[in-house]
Amino acid sequence: MSVFMDLNLSFTAERSRLKSLIETAAHLGFSTVAINYVFEPATKKKQEIPIPTPIKELIDELPVVQGRYRPIRVLNRLTVVMSDSSHFRPNAAEYRCFDLLSVQPTTEKLFHAACMIYDVDIICISVTEKLPFFFKRAPVNRAVDRGVVFEVSYSAAIRDSTRRRYTIANAVSLMESCKGKNVILSSAAEKPLELRGPYDITNLGLLFGLSDRDAKEAVSSTCRSVVLHAETRKSASGIMYTMKTCSESSSQQEAPPADSGEAPAAKRAKHHLTD
Amino acid sequence: MFGDLERTPRTLLVCDRSSFLDEKNRLSSQVEQLHFNYKVSMLLPECSSAPSHLEAVLNSFNSFYLIRKLPIHELLDKHFLETSVHQGLVSGLSYRTRIDEDNCVALMPNGHLSLSLDKDSFELLGVEGKLSKFNQRTNSRYDLTDSSLAPGGRGYQRLVTGLRSRLQLKTDFLLSHHPGGGASLQALLSRCDWSEHRPEVRSHALTDLFCPLLTSDLQSCDPHHLLEWLGAVDADVSCENSSSSFLSSLVCPEPKTTMSRALSVSVCGLLSPQDVHRLIQQIRCYLEQPRLESWASLTVHGFVDSPVSWGGDEHGVLKGGENFYSLLMFHDHTYHLHLGTGAHDTCPP
Repeated sequence: MSVFMDLNLSFTAERSRLKSLIETAAHLGFSTVAINYVFEPATKKKQEIPIPTPIKELIDELPVVQGRYRPIRVLNRLTVVMSDSSHFRPNAAEYRCFDLLSVQPTTEKLFHAACMIYDVDIICISVTEKLPFFFKRAPVNRAVDRGVVFEVSYSAAIRDSTRRRYTIANAVSLMESCKGKNVILSSAAEKPLELRGPYDITNLGLLFGLSDRDAKEAVSSTCRSVVLHAETRKSASGIMYTMKTCSESSSQQEAPPADSGEAPAAKRAKHHLTD
Repeated sequence: MFGDLERTPRTLLVCDRSSFLDEKNRLSSQVEQLHFNYKVSMLLPECSSAPSHLEAVLNSFNSFYLIRKLPIHELLDKHFLETSVHQGLVSGLSYRTRIDEDNCVALMPNGHLSLSLDKDSFELLGVEGKLSKFNQRTNSRYDLTDSSLAPGGRGYQRLVTGLRSRLQLKTDFLLSHHPGGGASLQALLSRCDWSEHRPEVRSHALTDLFCPLLTSDLQSCDPHHLLEWLGAVDADVSCENSSSSFLSSLVCPEPKTTMSRALSVSVCGLLSPQDVHRLIQQIRCYLEQPRLESWASLTVHGFVDSPVSWGGDEHGVLKGGENFYSLLMFHDHTYHLHLGTGAHDTCPP
C-alpha cells in the first residue's frame, strides 16, 4: 500500500475555503490531494479552459500531514464534462498545465470513446443522476489495460439522500463490470465537512461492492498509479521527460517526480503489481 | 456480492489455558516472542492502590532512547554490529511511521533487520527482498549475524550502499538495550540527536463496577466478551448501557458480580519481554497472598505499526493492526491466555 490520496477537491475561488479544505485533508491523513477544475463546455458557449492557479498563490504554507513530517502535496486536475465528442480536444495545449486529466462522459458512445481512445487518466462516474447506460465489459477491460481508472466520488452522497442512492447504484453497476480493479474513491468535496478519513472511505468502498483489499487500494495504490500514469502522459512513453525552463511555467507546482523520480519514472506505470 | 458486507475482516484469537506449575507451559516463550510491546495494562480487583513490590517492578522497567531522523545505515555500522547487535543486546523499531503508508524498520534482538518498504523504495534500495504476504509491499528480513552479511562482504556492502546512498532511509527510531548493553550504544548515540525516555506509568482507581464471575475451572465467560469488557474498563468506557446514553452499548458479560473497587494500571513505552516477564512473576506473588478476589489480569499490546509481531512474523494493518495478548491469572497458579491479531497477521504461537 502507498500513501493515502484524495484526488478530487473541488476548486473554489474563495481562498479561505480552499485553504481550510487542504488543511482538513492534511489533518485526516491524506498525503496528496488534487484540486479539481471542472470545465463544462456545454453550459456556456466560448468558455475557456481554466488556467490553474499556482499552489503558492492559493496557500502560503502547505500544512504537514497528521502524524508525519512531510507537508501535503497538492496537484492540479482538470475534469471535462463531455456531452459531445468535440468537447474534449486531444493534445490541447491548455491541458499541459494540469497534472491530472479526467473526463466525465454522459453518453454511452462517449464512455466507449473515453475508455478506448482518449488520452486521459481518470474517467469519472456520474453520481448525480441514474446512469443512462450500462457498463460493457469490453471498453472497461480496455481502459483497465491502458491504465485508466474509474472514479467514484462520495460527497454527493453526504449532501443528499437521493444522490446517495444514485452513487451506490452507479458504483455497484461499475464494480460488476470492472471487478473492483482500477477504481479510485475520492471526495469531490466543496466544504471541509464533506471530507472523510481514509479508513472511513475504505469502509464506504465495501458498500460499493469492493472487497476489503480493493477498497483500501482504491485510496492508496491505485491513486499512486494514476499519478504515475499522468506523469508518463507528459513524456514519451514514460522514458523522456521534458520541462519548460521559462519562468512562467516553473513557478507552477508541477507534479514533482517525488520518490519515483530517480528510477521508476523510466518504467511504464504498472497499475497492478504482479508477483 | 453484498454477502461480503456481513463478513468483517478476519481476526484471530488463540486461547490457551494452563498452569504456571505445569512444566510444559509455553507462556514464557509466548511472552518472549513478542519483542516490541507498546503498552501493558493491569487490572487488580478489590485493590485501591498498587502494592509496593508491583510499583517497584513498574518503576524498574528499562528506559529507551528516541533517536530523531536516524539514518538506517548507521544500524549497520561495523562497530555497532560487533558490540551490540551480534551480542543480542539491542532492539529497536521505527517510530511515527505507518506500516501501510511508509517505510518501517525493526531491529530484533536476534540480529535480524526487518524492512517493510513500499514498491518505489524497494526498487530504489536494490537489494534482494521478499514480497509481503498481505499487500503490495515488500517485507524483507536480513540476518545481520549471518556470514553472508558479515561486514566487508559483498552482501553487506550492497545493503549499506543501498541504505546510505540509493534509498537514504531516515526515520525516527526507538532503541532499547538490555541491561548492561548501554555503554555499547554510546558510539551510535553520539552521532545522532537522541533523548532518553522512561516508560510512563498511569494508574486509575475504579469504584463500584460490575465484573464477570471468573474462576479458573469454569467455562464461565466467552473470550470475546471478556476481552471486550477488559478493554472497556481500561479505556474507562461505561458498561452500564443505560437507555439514555448512546455512546456505548458494551455490557459486562454474565454471570456478573459487583466490585467495590479496582485498580487499573498502565505502562506505555518501548517495553521489553523480560520486563513483562518480571511483572508477571510479581503479580503471581501478589495473588499468592489471601485476597478477596482471586484473579488479576494483564494485557500486553504490541505496536500497531511494527513490521513484525510474534516470532518475527510479518505484521500489517488492513483496518486495525492489533496484536496483543491478555493473561488472566488465578491464585491457584492457573492462567487463561488469549492472543489476538488482526487481518494482516499470521497466527500467534
